[in-house]
Amino acid sequence: MNLRPLLALIPFLLLPAAVASTADAEKRLKVAVNDVLAIAKRSSSGKALAEGLRPVLGKYLSFEAMTRRAVGPGWRQFSPAQQKKATGLFTTLVIRTYSDKFTPGQDPVVEFGKAVTPAAGRVEVPTTVLYQGSRYSVVYRLEQTGGWRITDIVIEGVSLIANYRTQFDSQFKQGGADAVLSALTKSVATP
Amino acid sequence: MKILILLLAVAAAPLLTSCSSAAKKQPDVAVAISDKSGDGKAVADVGADDDDLDEYAVVSIADPLEKVNRGTFWLNHGIYTYLIRPVSKVYRTIVPKPVRQGLDNAYQNVAFPVRVVNHTLQGNLPRAGQETGKFLVNSTVGVGGFMRPSDRIPALANVPSADTGQTFARWGIGHGYYLVLPILGPSSVRETVGYAGDYALNPVNWVTILYGGYAWTLAIPYTNTVRSTPGQMDQYDAAIGNAVDPYLAARSSFVQYRAEVARRAIPVGAGTVTVSEAPAP
Repeated sequence: MNLRPLLALIPFLLLPAAVASTADAEKRLKVAVNDVLAIAKRSSSGKALAEGLRPVLGKYLSFEAMTRRAVGPGWRQFSPAQQKKATGLFTTLVIRTYSDKFTPGQDPVVEFGKAVTPAAGRVEVPTTVLYQGSRYSVVYRLEQTGGWRITDIVIEGVSLIANYRTQFDSQFKQGGADAVLSALTKSVATP
Repeated sequence: MKILILLLAVAAAPLLTSCSSAAKKQPDVAVAISDKSGDGKAVADVGADDDDLDEYAVVSIADPLEKVNRGTFWLNHGIYTYLIRPVSKVYRTIVPKPVRQGLDNAYQNVAFPVRVVNHTLQGNLPRAGQETGKFLVNSTVGVGGFMRPSDRIPALANVPSADTGQTFARWGIGHGYYLVLPILGPSSVRETVGYAGDYALNPVNWVTILYGGYAWTLAIPYTNTVRSTPGQMDQYDAAIGNAVDPYLAARSSFVQYRAEVARRAIPVGAGTVTVSEAPAP
């Protein structure tokens, strides 16, 4: 019996699963964005905002994946202890960078665009943020890592991870994992 | 010494402003993002997909002048810290927000030839038409451009901006070398020529040329410079904030941002978000 016609049906059978999964990612992102906006609105100072965001971002972002991508292929030459240290330090930088985008008490309006799926297990959700009279394009990249998690935020075309990647790459070339870690430590120590 | 700094600032003021659209030019790093996991494998365990490590391939812009550029970068950093930021702070303190917003709107409205000419050169006549419509509506109903009633007209709201550097990118011209310009900051050979084009197309700069010699004519470009400083400082801070190497962070942001601007030059289909760079009313 010729099974080929049946094979052609497989993509259609898989389609609903993919659609459901993209919808899950979008739903997850909306919950995350609402949580963040609620904190930004009720925070009275920049410091309170950063502190309030830490547990929320920990829930929705994959700091491990973000650090790994930001370091690049050199990551494999990090010992497990170095990887852990780098992730811890980079987490602080990401939270700080993200918190700096908000002014406490301000209430940005976020419009969600149509999500795209660049690859299986990945979703990109374009959003438009209306903030203090200007519009900004913000794209969230999410990955399926045992649940949907944000792995990159691209503001006006500038990817947070790509930006750090350039910097870590240059450090790694100069002095390997140690150079990356000491640069990270220095940056975290600078308020 | 103080006088010297002041002179320097005064000399550079019209330069700084001329690029109100250039102000938007954050660093543009060509981010090559390939999808190596496009084979459809489910990325269930992050630790396992080592192949993905290179997806954020390092942004490439030739930087043979890195040593000089780094010097200029830190010189600029000093000028921003001790001169431009204080000016911007005073301006923000003494000028009420609605007036600042009005001035931003008016200067952006007047700069419409920059956008119309570039949309046209990019072969995007519908957008050139939208810009002209926007200019007419805002100049009349919006009282000389101080308000932006065009935002309430769906056909005229959110028209992507256009500039000369973007046109060159659209024509397929590459960046050439990375350059850090004094005061203006991150640029490239292509974008510097672009700045010159934007400067020449911006009527704000015509007044001084046409009526050169009269002190009052300087008020127009100088006001433009001052009113654009808060936004420029915000962008600078966003680019280098929490950086490990601020020079590389600014370069990366510049290349990425300019790549995004170049992508916006290509008309987008339905379902894609278009973003205007101009402030709302």
